[in-house]
Amino acid sequence: MSDNLLEIKNMELKYGSIRAVKGIDLSLKKGEIVSLIGSNGAGKSSLLKGIMNIEKKSGKVIFKDKDITKLSTEKIVSRGISIIPEGHLIFSSMSVWENLQLGHYQGNNKIDIKNIYEYFPILEERKEQKAGTLSGGEQQMLSIGRALLAGPELILVDEPSLGLAPQVVNNIFKIMKRLNEEGYTILLAEQNVKRSLELADRAYVLKTGEIIKEGSASQMKVKKWMYL
Amino acid sequence: MDVFIAQIINGLSQGSIYVLLVTAFNLMLLVARIIQFAYPQFVVLAMYASWLVLEKSGNVILAALAAIAVSVLLNLLSEPIFRRINNIEKIDINASFVASMGLSMIIVEIMSHSINNGFPVSFPDYWTGENIIDFNYINIGRGELAALLGGIILVALFFYLLYHTHYGRVFRAIAEDRKTAKKVGLPILKSNLLSYLIAGILGGIIAILFSMFLGSASPWLGETVALKVLAVSITAGLGNLTGGLYVGLGLGILESLAIGYFSGSWSDVIAFLLMLVVVLSKPQGLFGAALE
Repeated sequence: MSDNLLEIKNMELKYGSIRAVKGIDLSLKKGEIVSLIGSNGAGKSSLLKGIMNIEKKSGKVIFKDKDITKLSTEKIVSRGISIIPEGHLIFSSMSVWENLQLGHYQGNNKIDIKNIYEYFPILEERKEQKAGTLSGGEQQMLSIGRALLAGPELILVDEPSLGLAPQVVNNIFKIMKRLNEEGYTILLAEQNVKRSLELADRAYVLKTGEIIKEGSASQMKVKKWMYL
Repeated sequence: MDVFIAQIINGLSQGSIYVLLVTAFNLMLLVARIIQFAYPQFVVLAMYASWLVLEKSGNVILAALAAIAVSVLLNLLSEPIFRRINNIEKIDINASFVASMGLSMIIVEIMSHSINNGFPVSFPDYWTGENIIDFNYINIGRGELAALLGGIILVALFFYLLYHTHYGRVFRAIAEDRKTAKKVGLPILKSNLLSYLIAGILGGIIAILFSMFLGSASPWLGETVALKVLAVSITAGLGNLTGGLYVGLGLGILESLAIGYFSGSWSDVIAFLLMLVVVLSKPQGLFGAALE
């Protein structure tokens, strides 16, 4: 039995002839927050899509000692990995409650919608409202809520701060901290290096699809100027 | 006035059949992303199945079950063909249209060569039923009433499924944004399959109601109906379920009034001309297309 909750071995992901992920090895232990740092196009989102099988990839993905490389996204979610995709993606013509229900039926019903309303009281106030009428920050909360309702152990978070006001970003990062304290393992892809390292235990620095540096977040903070 | 009322009732019954057909057509368009032109042919083949059973056994329950079984089977058997065209990775609505036209032609040929020597079939009176209301010009047959009530019940059930059940919500999510649905791991392939199954069951029931309403079927019935279903869907707004409801009923009434006041042979021309005007002035349809 390995210590690692997630292990990625030699992942390669291509878009046509462009190699977005070039033989990446990466691991996460249970309870960690690990950050993927890198500029736009470094391969952070592609790596997350590869893990979830949203995009085809080669290499191996091991989750809880089981090979999940070839499983469909749907099966991967039911095994305990949820993704919060970039761009706070929600189903805008459906109500807040209906969006949350979509997550609820995907997983193992470990948590209830009431728990989500505790994290994000605003979603309870707006549960009947069409999701498309929510603000960007509220849509991001809804996206997180839906992912949580699938009952994951590991959450992949893709650029959570993108396009959101600083105050809203603060709230989102606070929630992620709280989720981690409550036992969720988090793999975070984020361009905001400072915020990301404040939150993370460890970090990987990516450049043009390769890991060029890895270490604890505190080590990275010292030399953060190198990667900005 | 009697003629008007009689034609309105007849039109609503005919319209209910269109609504049911266009609802199933739109369901497959929204969830599986196919233009299933062959669907009305499946319905007609299911009508033939019930006619064959009635001919052999005279048992109405067996005939009804045969219609549903054939429709479900045909829809499910077509799923792997369309999955080759539209899978989770790529979507090609145009190719699905061409493939379904091919399927449609094959079914017409089968029906025109193999069943009743290609002649239209006529359903027995105990299937179509007597007039329930017979007052001056107002004659309402069992078939008309069945189509009208069946249409209302089935559409109500369908909308309940769509808005109040888990799979309905998944259908709507996939219909709204397939890419996001894929990203968050919603069961796209399972939902596709389920949409074929629902369309299959619905198709079987439509076959029963349609044969009770018309009292006959011919190998070419499906082609005319398929054109109308496509026209209704485009006029309402491709994939717009509520729009399909109004335009389907509207077409039924329009055709029926044209038959009542002009000539039966002009009813299609009048209906299609009006739909042409709508599409020219509102290319996205009267109620807006649900698909880009």
